[in-house]
Amino acid sequence: MIDSLLAYITLAMILFSIGFLGVVSRKNIFVIYMSIELMLNAINLIFVSLGRYYESMQPQVIAMIIIAIAAAEAAVFLSLIVVLYRRKKSLNSDIFTILSQKDSHE
Amino acid sequence: MIDIIFIVLSIIAISGAMGMILFSQTIYSALSLIVTILALAGVFALLSAPFLFMVQIIIYAGAIITLLLFIIMFLNIKDDNLPSEPNKMTTIFIGAALLLPFNILVLKAFYTLPSKPMHILGKDFGSINDFGMELFRSWLVPFELISMLLLAALIGAVVYARKEKAND
Repeated sequence: MIDSLLAYITLAMILFSIGFLGVVSRKNIFVIYMSIELMLNAINLIFVSLGRYYESMQPQVIAMIIIAIAAAEAAVFLSLIVVLYRRKKSLNSDIFTILSQKDSHE
Repeated sequence: MIDIIFIVLSIIAISGAMGMILFSQTIYSALSLIVTILALAGVFALLSAPFLFMVQIIIYAGAIITLLLFIIMFLNIKDDNLPSEPNKMTTIFIGAALLLPFNILVLKAFYTLPSKPMHILGKDFGSINDFGMELFRSWLVPFELISMLLLAALIGAVVYARKEKAND
């Protein structure tokens, strides 16, 4: 039972759920970003375990492409956070709903 | 043997993920995420994906999360910059209760697949040779599009940083 597909899928679903709960419950923008990364990892795990199950290499290629997209996402997201943090001096995601420059006190 | 390794790696991964959403300090969350990602790299190795095992360690833990740690340390976050999250635990429990039916649905769907032993395959599956063959035979266009995407992300990051300098 442990050594079958269902165990891996269970682990992936638990990690995905934790990532989703992190996005929903936290307000710290960094933790939201990390939860998104965790969800991407859980999806990668589902892909790779299905690839092992069907003995196909295609899911591993898809997983690598997802990792590359996560790298691109990290670059843009982190530079965006640096700009926002310098303007608002806070990590609260609620504050970032107002992006207009007039509201920033410089 | 594989069962024991899998259980240990799962416990490490899940506790790291729990720590990530429960710590209030950002840097502890990032370190917990590194723990989770390294444990998942071990799970990839159990699934006969040695290339993804290395990519997970080098790119995810070594590049992406290290970049995140750099940014967190670079911003010099004080305690009063952190948002207050008074009803964090309530939201977590309500969200967990709402997610439970979805998880049961997905697991039921996967339960219908016939069970199959998932031991580690040897040289005939999962080598870097197989991976490269698959990548450059069937996935050449997505591979090239990824390079365009990375270039666009690079330019985007530079533009954000430059715009901020002009404002100062």
